[in-house]
Amino acid sequence: MKTLNSSTISKINTHNIRNALSCRTQFSFPKDCFVRSLCCSKNGGSFVLALSFSSKRKMVFSKLQTSQDKSNVKGKKKSLQAPTTTKIEAPEPGGAPAVSGESGGDSVPPPLPPGSKKVGSWKLKGLPKRVLALLSNLPLALAEMFAVAALMALGTFIDQGEAPDFYFQKYPEDNPIMGFFTWRWILTLGFDHMFSSPLFLGTLSLLGASLMACTYTTQIPIVKVARRWSFLHSAEAIRKQEYSDTLPRASIQDLGVILMGAGYEVFLKGPSLYAFKGLAGRFAPIGVHLALLLVMVGGTLSAAGSFRGSVTVPQGLNFVIGDVLGPSGFLSTPSESFNTEVHVNRFYMDYYNSGEVSQFHSDLSLFDLNGKEIMRKTISVNDPLRYGGITIYQTDWSLSALQIMKDDEGPFNLAMAPLKINGDKKLYGTFLPVGDADSTNLKGISMLARDMQSVVLYDQEGKFAGVRRPNSKLPIDIDGMRIVVLDAIGSTGLDIKTDPGVPIVYAGFGALMLTTCISFLSHTQIWALQDGTSVVVGGKTNRAKGEFPDDMNFLLDQVPEIVDSSASMQLDSSSS
Amino acid sequence: MIFSTLEHILTHISFSTVSILITINLITFLVDEIVKLYDSSEKGMIMTFFCITGLLITRWIYSGHFPLSDLYESLIFLSWSFSLIHIVPYFKKNQNLLSTIIGPSAIFTQGFATSGLLTEIHESTILVPALQSEWLIMHVSMMILGYAALLCGSLLSVSLLVITVRKKRRFFSTSYGLLNFNESFFFGKIEYMNERSNVLENTSFFAPNPKNYYRSQLIQQLDYWSYRVISLGFIFLTIGILSGAVWANEAWGSYWSWDPKETWAFITWIVFAIYLHIRTNIKWEGRNSAIVASIGFLIIWICYFGVNLLGIGLHSYGSFTLTSN
Repeated sequence: MKTLNSSTISKINTHNIRNALSCRTQFSFPKDCFVRSLCCSKNGGSFVLALSFSSKRKMVFSKLQTSQDKSNVKGKKKSLQAPTTTKIEAPEPGGAPAVSGESGGDSVPPPLPPGSKKVGSWKLKGLPKRVLALLSNLPLALAEMFAVAALMALGTFIDQGEAPDFYFQKYPEDNPIMGFFTWRWILTLGFDHMFSSPLFLGTLSLLGASLMACTYTTQIPIVKVARRWSFLHSAEAIRKQEYSDTLPRASIQDLGVILMGAGYEVFLKGPSLYAFKGLAGRFAPIGVHLALLLVMVGGTLSAAGSFRGSVTVPQGLNFVIGDVLGPSGFLSTPSESFNTEVHVNRFYMDYYNSGEVSQFHSDLSLFDLNGKEIMRKTISVNDPLRYGGITIYQTDWSLSALQIMKDDEGPFNLAMAPLKINGDKKLYGTFLPVGDADSTNLKGISMLARDMQSVVLYDQEGKFAGVRRPNSKLPIDIDGMRIVVLDAIGSTGLDIKTDPGVPIVYAGFGALMLTTCISFLSHTQIWALQDGTSVVVGGKTNRAKGEFPDDMNFLLDQVPEIVDSSASMQLDSSSS
Repeated sequence: MIFSTLEHILTHISFSTVSILITINLITFLVDEIVKLYDSSEKGMIMTFFCITGLLITRWIYSGHFPLSDLYESLIFLSWSFSLIHIVPYFKKNQNLLSTIIGPSAIFTQGFATSGLLTEIHESTILVPALQSEWLIMHVSMMILGYAALLCGSLLSVSLLVITVRKKRRFFSTSYGLLNFNESFFFGKIEYMNERSNVLENTSFFAPNPKNYYRSQLIQQLDYWSYRVISLGFIFLTIGILSGAVWANEAWGSYWSWDPKETWAFITWIVFAIYLHIRTNIKWEGRNSAIVASIGFLIIWICYFGVNLLGIGLHSYGSFTLTSN
């Protein structure tokens, strides 16, 4: 099969291609073509694919041209030309765009055969078709995918979002990487922000355009032939299938029942049988493409129409949602719920026995303009709050203040500041001045905390004084002062966003998962013909070609033999 | 305590089974027909499978969360997936071809995971807040199942390439010897099976050029099975990536943030999408698609290991904590 195809490519002249094309319209769409090509292409390579399949398709209509079947068997090349002389079925108008689209894809427009129907439409709709055909070209789509992948890979190797100075140093001009790659490349092409650079987004949208063109020109038309099924009326045609077998002394009705039992849709008409299974597997690739488009649309909407913001709020304080959010694109329109006020009732953490944080919680209340509480929820990581299109996520935390008693005075709130130390652990510190606050040589007690569990205290000399847990009420005496750490007040880091794209993206995700799974199904077609006492069975499948013969043999083994009084030979079900 | 002991025992059993299996495989490869040994290696794989299953379950009970929170656990899960893919066809009593590829893969990952290389990360760790979600099970298990299937499929493609390349340069057998041990090992086994079926069929069947015939038959088989297995892996990968995106939207408020791991998973996805598209064109089937699948093989490893070892981004297992806590 493979070799046949490649050998035919060179030999078909454009005239034949055109003829074969028009014949393809007459046949309606060859199913095989679509199954085999998830995506579609209009030029050279898969062109031939379509041709070879259209020739196959002819076998389906062999009733109308049985005389030619013999010549078809002998060589595919002959059969390629054969259809041009036959007139079968009227062309369906719906199929026209795809076919003329294909003809538009030829780099060299073929000389039009006399009587071709496409002349008019070709001239009229030439340009859009040309673009469409160009876009739905499979090699181009593959190249776009490669380009997207390569750009993404590059984006992970080049540090993203740094200042220009960083790139000047890392990619200097006097020592270019691989001899040419310097910071000029990065800054000119926008590789410092790869995933929002025009180059990347352009490639991605080109891919999206290809996806659309493909879906439109090749995949959508499949739906039109969805319910088209046909009987084969000659044993020859059936024997030409990928799998074929002859059952002596069998009845086609028995075969039909067994096939139905195996989950096939079975159609019987006189001595002919047609059965198929897994038709969904043939259409699922369209669904995959549509779902991808849906995800792309949703992603665009997300980028253009969302609001984002993050805020660190100490426990007990409020903020208004609208103050925090900033628009991300030109489609971002604020909504009513932006006036909502959020009050952080409480922020606390859960800990493992080992002392590590297991979860962060923020108890939030939402108030409307009139000060009425409309919602209250304790959020945590993986459990955001959703209200009126706004989602509030728990993403960060810090310590805002320590509440202490000094010599039974107070309580005082000491603001805590984050300290930069090596490593990624957080550390917060505060300072309780001792003595004259105006003195130039101010001394005091330092307090450090990593989290809300414990506070480390140091005396005026900087010596370690002790560790106290907030809430423990246990006083500590430092330099004659009696200090009680009442509480550590945390602030919660919240991310807030509105994203109108999410429902669309989720719908796309769901559809994508489903259709990808269905795409694994193999579309199997079986034809059978009662030929005297024996039944000729043939079939083909588009994906599970490996298991197909075994499955078929298994099924055919079950077909009961009609026992004749004169002879009772063994049923030979694996004669092929 | 009892759990860690049990875990140790299971680790050691699976590792020693695996070592024995490597030896058996080598013996069957070097010495001709020893059907019994081959059988025992199959049984060994099943034993390994149950050991790893036990190991995972022990870890699950012991740590209280699904054992997929760090690299070591994901490696164990990967080899579990391999052995699962390996024994499924074994029970269906067909597909020797697939198992010759997967068997050694399982052996190597399990060996790598349990060997001394990564002892410091054997300790079961706590689960950081962001990982505490039901999505963890779905996302990570799907991803790793996807990796396993894709690795198997692309290994089949790699061996297809090795065979076709070898066919062209039959006399430069020294260059073949320089090939990666892995591949030559798999290839050797396939070749060996090839020969074996050759011998079997030769006696009963008339064939004008049996060697070439079976070779092309073998290539076709490799082509077909790599296609099917990759299709399956692609499904898992898709589900894994998408569930990860949904999870990210729950946890961080963004379903896609171009984190290196995410990006590489997407690259993997694209490469195998290219593979599946190339398959739609009959002219490009076989070697061209096999080349793409082999690229995919490398990319999976970059995605799975490379990004992790760099320890950057949100997916640095084990070291990951909530926003640089």
